[in-house]
Amino acid sequence: MARPVPTGSRIRERRMTLGMRQAHLARAAEISPSYLNLIEHNRRAIGGGLLTRIAEALETDRATLSEDGDPALVESLRAAGAAQGMAVEYLDQAEEMARRRPEWARLIVTQAEAMAAQARTIEALSDRLTHDPTLADAMHELLSTVSVVRSTAAILAQTPDIDRNWLGRFHTNLDADSRRLAEGAEAIVSHFDREGTRGADRLLPSEAVARFLEGATAPLAQLEAEGVAAIPELVAGLDPDARALASDILQSDAADAARLPSPVVMAADGPDALIEAAGGDLALVLRRLGLLDPGRGLVICDAAGAILRRKAVAGFPLPVMGAGCPLWPVYGALTQPGHPIVALIETPDGAVWRAHAIASPTSQASFATPPVLRATMLLSRADDASARPAPVGPGCRVCPREACAARREPSVLSLAQGSRSRPA
Amino acid sequence: MNDHAQPGPPGRVLLIEDEPNIATAIAFILQRDGWRVSTHSDGATAIDAVSRHTPDVVVLDVMLPGKSGFDILSGLRSGDWTDLPVLMLTAKGQAKDRERAEALGVSRFMTKPFSNQDLLGAIRDLATLAPR
Repeated sequence: MARPVPTGSRIRERRMTLGMRQAHLARAAEISPSYLNLIEHNRRAIGGGLLTRIAEALETDRATLSEDGDPALVESLRAAGAAQGMAVEYLDQAEEMARRRPEWARLIVTQAEAMAAQARTIEALSDRLTHDPTLADAMHELLSTVSVVRSTAAILAQTPDIDRNWLGRFHTNLDADSRRLAEGAEAIVSHFDREGTRGADRLLPSEAVARFLEGATAPLAQLEAEGVAAIPELVAGLDPDARALASDILQSDAADAARLPSPVVMAADGPDALIEAAGGDLALVLRRLGLLDPGRGLVICDAAGAILRRKAVAGFPLPVMGAGCPLWPVYGALTQPGHPIVALIETPDGAVWRAHAIASPTSQASFATPPVLRATMLLSRADDASARPAPVGPGCRVCPREACAARREPSVLSLAQGSRSRPA
Repeated sequence: MNDHAQPGPPGRVLLIEDEPNIATAIAFILQRDGWRVSTHSDGATAIDAVSRHTPDVVVLDVMLPGKSGFDILSGLRSGDWTDLPVLMLTAKGQAKDRERAEALGVSRFMTKPFSNQDLLGAIRDLATLAPR
């Protein structure tokens, strides 16, 4: 890594960039020109109030002039470069860039963060267009009606010898279909109007909660330490709908923590060692290990397969939005509630994982209503396993397994590579 | 509905479409072009209708009550109708629908809204493929 540029040299460079005379800066900093000259040639140490006064006179901040720079800015700059695949030798220049050109460095960091936020928004909107049944139905109705209107209008315009009976019939149809068209258009506009009231990033409450739970300031540690008392403060920044949803999840997490405390969980070497401590509640074991152990992942879904909770683990990508891979054992568990599944699975990159899954009722069954089921899956690395693993993916949209029999939609990966064959 | 028949390629078209107004419009267009047109609106009995009418070309909607156009196409191709020209119409123009239809053996795939001339041209093209 490049040696840091001394503070005095940076003061001199900044002053010369501004075209400021040494005497002028010395006067502004309330020191003699000769003393400033010693500082600029790194013959005198500088800090405290003097560095602040010089920074103000040079219209910059202490961090920019300080040898230590702005560590947060340097790290953000490195992260921005790494996200774009920048080579290591260039990443090492982040510190110098942050120090010499802090305004440009901040601009790069700000733009990188904005791009990442926009990518998340695009992904969320793309998922919604694919998975929003209300919008899909409304668009289907609209296009069908447009088709009738277009065909009928063309018939009327291009058939001068049409007889009176047909003419009357087509006029009647056109009248009815034009009304349907107007209603369909209004339905879609209303749909997007409702979407527009959801806030700048247009997240559904479930999406906002998923982001909240997975964010850099994940609330688990505070919840473990303080229990339910921590919840109001933790969820305060969320919108009301998302806040209610997040509160329910965190209360459930707090109850889990009370039943199976983190020291017990972290002392165990796997799910089997925790069954007795959890009173035989296998789903509780999987939830606690999945949330507490950074080396394990967790997926919880309902009986419709909708993912209610996901905790990503390095090497096993989970879809940010939408459904997961239909071949995940968590879905197989739903077919046999109460029966635990342990299965070896292989991600597209060849990594082998052991999946523990179980489906359990979350409500009391009666003769009139079946129980509400929820399935839980714990993911742990199992590269030393000798049995043959079953191939799975992260979810169809981001899965490269083109020929998978379980595929329900094309992968954006193959779309991006232009490898899909187009119809003639 | 045959009152307006004009000289055109001889043939029978079975139109499987549950939306009555679009079925009326398509049937009118085809009949004026010389086709004998039968219509059917129920997905569940569509394959029986094909057996009954023995059409030269089938125009098949995707969204049908009882059974989807994809299931009907699959049933036709796995039965006695492997070569029957099938034109599929859908308002769902997504690539995955087109790919699914092609994987099942559709002869032609058109998305709504379409022009009457394009529809006629497609059916005439398909009629030349029909087994005689």
